[in-house]
Amino acid sequence: MKILTTNFLKCAVKACDKSNDNFPLRYSGSECELVQDPSIEFNEEFMTNIMDRIDWDAVLSVAGDLGNTNLPSTKPLLNTAEQLSEDDLAVLRDLHVLLVQTSIKEGTMTCRNCGHVYYIKNSIPNLLLPPHLA
Amino acid sequence: MLPTPYIKCDYDTVYEPSEDSFLLLDTLEEELPYLESRFKNRLSVVCELGPGSGIVTTFLMQNGIPSKNQSIYFAADISPWALDATLDAAKRNKCEKSYLEPIQSDLNRCIKSKEVDLLIFNPPYVPAEEVPAVPTTKEERDEWLDLALLGGTDGMVVTNKVLDQLDIILSPTGVAYILFCARNKPEQIVERMSRDGWSMELIMHRKAGWEVLSVYRFTR
Repeated sequence: MKILTTNFLKCAVKACDKSNDNFPLRYSGSECELVQDPSIEFNEEFMTNIMDRIDWDAVLSVAGDLGNTNLPSTKPLLNTAEQLSEDDLAVLRDLHVLLVQTSIKEGTMTCRNCGHVYYIKNSIPNLLLPPHLA
Repeated sequence: MLPTPYIKCDYDTVYEPSEDSFLLLDTLEEELPYLESRFKNRLSVVCELGPGSGIVTTFLMQNGIPSKNQSIYFAADISPWALDATLDAAKRNKCEKSYLEPIQSDLNRCIKSKEVDLLIFNPPYVPAEEVPAVPTTKEERDEWLDLALLGGTDGMVVTNKVLDQLDIILSPTGVAYILFCARNKPEQIVERMSRDGWSMELIMHRKAGWEVLSVYRFTR
C-alpha cells in the first residue's frame, strides 16, 4: 500500500465517523515493513496536483509514525503560475519518493478513536471489520 | 473502439466478466468526452466498488480514463479473491505504471468522505431472499462468489447502502456510474434520488438474455 493511500483511509467503524480521530490511522513504525520501488517515474503534473489535494497534517502524522520527521510543518506552497522553481521541484521529488515510491508491505494501522487494529499483508490493506463490529 | 482487457482467472471464486461488465465498459467508452471535459488537467480519484475480476478498473487504467497519468485507482472489494484477480488483471494488461490500490473493504466504509471523483459500481443485483453472510475463511469459494451476485430484496440491499452514502462518497464534482437490472426497478430509484437532489440519467441499456440491464449516471 502506497503511503499516499494513507491520505484516503479512515477507520471503518461507523461510530468513529462522529470523531475527528478516525483519520488518519496510526501506523506502527516498529511493525511496518516498508519497500521502495524506484522504477515508478516522477510525474511533475501528478505531484503538483497531489499537493492541491492532500491533507498535509495527515501526511505529517503518517510520516512521523514511520520515523520520518524531516517534512516541513506546513504544506509547501508551489508557485504554479509559472514554471516550477528548482526548489519546488526538489520538494516534489522528495514527496514522490515518500508518497508514491514507498509502500507498506506488512504492518498494522490503528484507529486513534476506537483502537481497532487493521492489518496490511502482502501490500494489501484489510479494513474489513469482524462481525461484531460490522 | 477501445481495447478490452484480457482477463483470465478462477471463475469459481470471482464473477466472470459478462454482459453487465461489457455494458459498463461500453458506457464508459461512450462517456469519454463527458469525463474528459469534467476531469481535464486535474487529478482524479477513481473508486470501483466490487471490482471482481478487475476488468473495469483495468479498462480505465489501460485507456487513461478519466485523466491520463493523473488518476488514482482504488479497487475496494470485500473478497480477497477479487483483490488478487484485480491485481493480476492489471499485470496481464501492462498497467503496472498506474496508481492502483486494491483495498479489502466493505463497500466504501474505510474511504475518507467526499474524496471520490469517479465511482463505478456493478453491484450484486440479483434479487434473493437475503444478502449472504461474509465467509469467515478464504477457502469458502462458492460463498465468496455468491456474495458477488446476490443482492437481497429486489436485488437492491447492497446498492441502497451505496445510494444512501453517495453524498458522503463523492467529491463536490464527483460522478457515479451504477448498473441496474430491470428487477431492481430503477425507474423508482430515479424518482427517489431526484427527490434528494440527484440527477440520475440513463446512459445505456441493453437486453441480455431475459434480463434488461442499464447503467445510470449520478451527479449533483
